[in-house]
Amino acid sequence: MTILITGGSGSGKSALAEKFIHILCPTEKIYLATMLCRDRESELRVERHRQMRAERCFRTLECPKALFSAPIPRNAAVLLEDLPNLLANEMFEGGEPDNVLRDLRNLSRQCCHLCMVTGEVFSDGIRYDSLTQTYIARLAQLNRSLAAACDCTIEVICGIPVLLRGTLPFPL
Amino acid sequence: MKLYIGGTGQGQLEMARSENPGAELIPDFHLRIRWLVENRQDLSAFLEDFCRQHPDAVIVSDEIGCGIVPMDPLEREWRQMTGRALCRIAGQSDQVTRVICGIGQRIK
Repeated sequence: MTILITGGSGSGKSALAEKFIHILCPTEKIYLATMLCRDRESELRVERHRQMRAERCFRTLECPKALFSAPIPRNAAVLLEDLPNLLANEMFEGGEPDNVLRDLRNLSRQCCHLCMVTGEVFSDGIRYDSLTQTYIARLAQLNRSLAAACDCTIEVICGIPVLLRGTLPFPL
Repeated sequence: MKLYIGGTGQGQLEMARSENPGAELIPDFHLRIRWLVENRQDLSAFLEDFCRQHPDAVIVSDEIGCGIVPMDPLEREWRQMTGRALCRIAGQSDQVTRVICGIGQRIK
């Protein structure tokens, strides 16, 4: 099944996504990491997430952009984290932002389970420069398109999952 | 513990007050986290003490994490830490209410 998880900063999206994929597939699963690690802060974030996943047998694949090229075996259970980073890399690091949705759809077709973590960045009322506005609009459209096609979409608020659409894979 | 959250001015404070007369009410929880971040205090130690000292309190906080990740590291850290602190408080609470347009949704 395909699951989309959204929420604000530090809301507990990753922990929920890991729990989903772990329960759906207790054996081998893939963690598709999209964040480019360029400074101490991102290194610390990555380390924190690694520790969270340590006991759950995730194999990490780094894929900051061009999802189609990631060596993901067929019928795997995949946690993709996260779409805001993936889109930013495609837009600002010489990628192909137009292909993101297509690549995600293909990925979803080839996985037995796919859990995608996205983010809520749409409510701060700030008018950004045109490039950032384009990024926000693209991410919003991506979230909407994915939510329409996923089996379930969940918002995490203070660590509490709130079902937005579809049915949960199992009772929480 | 009870937690009321919402975007700025959504009515979480008023709702917390009217639904919990006489209870110990702690408003602007997000600003306490701001203080911690600005003064480089340890979050887990703070939360440990806070939960011990206010086991029956009603906590009210703004949600601040639903925007573009700010360029300023302190602003970034504040959002992250507030999010994590609220996860912890929500975990300890018997009741969590999210307020939008003055309307409360009980999510726990």
